[in-house]
Amino acid sequence: MTKRDVALQLLRRGWVLTLGALAGLVIVYTRVAFFTPIESTQGPAQKIFYVHVSSAWASLGAFAVTGILSLLYLWRRDRKLDTVAEASAEVGLMFGVIMLTTGPIWGKVVWGTWWDWDAKLTSTLFLFLLFIGYTVLRGAVADLDTRARFSAVIGVLSLVLVPFIFLSVHMFRTLHPKPPVLRAGGPSMPAAMLITLLFSVFVFSVLYVGFVTLRYALAVLKELRAEEAAHGIS
Amino acid sequence: MSSSLWGTAFAVAAKDLKIEWRTKTAFASSLVFAVLVLAIFYFSRDSTVVSELDIAPAAIWVTFTFAAMLGLNRAFLLEQENRAIDGLLLSPVPRTGIFVGKILGNLAFVAVVELVSLPLFSLFFNVPILHVLPSLLGVAAMATIAFVTVGTLLSAMVVRTRFAELMLPILLLPFLVPPIIGAVQITAGILAGRPMSEFAGWLKLLGAFDIAFVTACLLLFEATVEE
Amino acid sequence: MTRSEPLLAVADVSRRFGYRKVIEQVSFEVGGGDVLLLIGHNGAGKTTLIRLLAGLLSPNEGTVSRCDSFGVVTHDSMLYDSLSARENLQFYGRLYGRHDADKLDDLLRRVGLHEHADRHVITYSRGMVQRLALARALLPDPDLLLLDEPLTGLDDSASGMVREILSEFRTRNRAVVLTTHQLADVVDLATDVGYMVAGKLTAIEPVEGRDARAVTMRYRELASNV
Repeated sequence: MTKRDVALQLLRRGWVLTLGALAGLVIVYTRVAFFTPIESTQGPAQKIFYVHVSSAWASLGAFAVTGILSLLYLWRRDRKLDTVAEASAEVGLMFGVIMLTTGPIWGKVVWGTWWDWDAKLTSTLFLFLLFIGYTVLRGAVADLDTRARFSAVIGVLSLVLVPFIFLSVHMFRTLHPKPPVLRAGGPSMPAAMLITLLFSVFVFSVLYVGFVTLRYALAVLKELRAEEAAHGIS
Repeated sequence: MSSSLWGTAFAVAAKDLKIEWRTKTAFASSLVFAVLVLAIFYFSRDSTVVSELDIAPAAIWVTFTFAAMLGLNRAFLLEQENRAIDGLLLSPVPRTGIFVGKILGNLAFVAVVELVSLPLFSLFFNVPILHVLPSLLGVAAMATIAFVTVGTLLSAMVVRTRFAELMLPILLLPFLVPPIIGAVQITAGILAGRPMSEFAGWLKLLGAFDIAFVTACLLLFEATVEE
Repeated sequence: MTRSEPLLAVADVSRRFGYRKVIEQVSFEVGGGDVLLLIGHNGAGKTTLIRLLAGLLSPNEGTVSRCDSFGVVTHDSMLYDSLSARENLQFYGRLYGRHDADKLDDLLRRVGLHEHADRHVITYSRGMVQRLALARALLPDPDLLLLDEPLTGLDDSASGMVREILSEFRTRNRAVVLTTHQLADVVDLATDVGYMVAGKLTAIEPVEGRDARAVTMRYRELASNV
């Protein structure tokens, strides 16, 4: 099979995964809306937390994937690793936007504050900013190999950074405690809610894989076209 | 025939400082910037609500880091003219030595900016610092090593892009957060007269950050200059 | 080519940028006493090849092995404008482990810059910069010189100095690889000519007394066959 055929096959698989996940999304959120208990203290608006936590999870996963692939790229120098890392970063950015919009909305509706500098929220904000930095750096470098190398360096550094951000904010908060805002469902989550949450996280994960597959396949096809164009000239 | 790591580092740092001394542009900008930032911090508080001591740690650390960022790019920018970096890479010296040399040059630069800003800060904000100077300098050193090391590595990449001056802050600022949080907490405590033993946790965090990032950057430097 | 231990060995080297193959399957060896001229039209990959030979670029395929002591002169001078000639050489001297001030003076005299040694490089003309770049390359007393268009922008006396260096390297059994457009100035000092066409080393042949015109015609011949 030619490279193009492989890419097209990946594209098809990506669509299957994505559409399947979107269907799963509909199912899960129907369950969320109608079949999951309403949380006592927060009311129906609490349900946004399912989206928030799931997208945070997907975003964190995407970040970890990009970081690990960056490390692998520096070891193996296979540009495919860089292409997947880029796809993962883009998808992670998207989930990051969802996470950062649903979080404050939940906070505002339920607790009255848009933002709270707790360790988790702050770390996710910086995750998002690091993704943006990664994307901006890529946009500024023209040569493909240099771009892959530089992105990998930032990817690895970001991976090392996030635990420190979490730690430092956590330490800051234990010094200056404020009533914790965005906590899950309360001290313990009833089984029904937990199951819904796990479902939601699962569907989001499949959605992530689907999107990354699609994005990767598209990137490969785009490169194939550019390669052919370059050979056409020389 | 080839120099050792530190020999190379000192040769590179000495050369950089000699060149910077001749032109003095980055240095002058950083100093002016530091004075401006301190002034803005001073005037932008409600003096009936916020005492000078309250705003002091933030003022000093924002001044240090932002003034430093103005000068971090020059270390590698001066190697861009005439592609002098190639000359360095061609010579039989360890590349890590080049990187360490650049860090040393930047550290010297930032140290001077900090040492000039500190008395200015004490003057403007009416905050006595002489009695806690050693601890203050110690904390400053730990945090400065952190952001200068990461900043130098990032600048090695960023000077090869079109928007070096813009890209460095975008990439570097997230890396400033843990050391700055720690440095501000400790500085606030020091200025309030609290004993250093209270900050064991923060000091450990700063130390761990320094070790983690100096190691990571030393390992990653090669990837930023090879082609 | 003289059959001694090669000072530079290139085996099946290829290099691409993005999707473009700039150097394809280049192989050759250079030994003591060789002066190899690389010629080719603009875009044939000569500068990239010199950078590969110097180790500033790594090949995507193949290997380059060269002796430890070598000097390089490229389009960019690799010098610091805010320092003087002497300071530049002192700095590089430290990197190469050469600290002898007298030897540095000799080097400056050799390239004709002794009088201007303490002026900052920013005040230098193109010719003077090139002389200093050559001094920098010669600092480690190298066995191999890699020169990318060393004669561009030089006046007669500077060109003469380059010729002297080429001739000396030849007699002292060292090697030079250089690219140039100014064939007439150096062809009589060359031992071999490499003809580069579109990133490939189409042929590499001894000069055999050919003059500039003959070499150019041979190039056209090879280029038209591709």
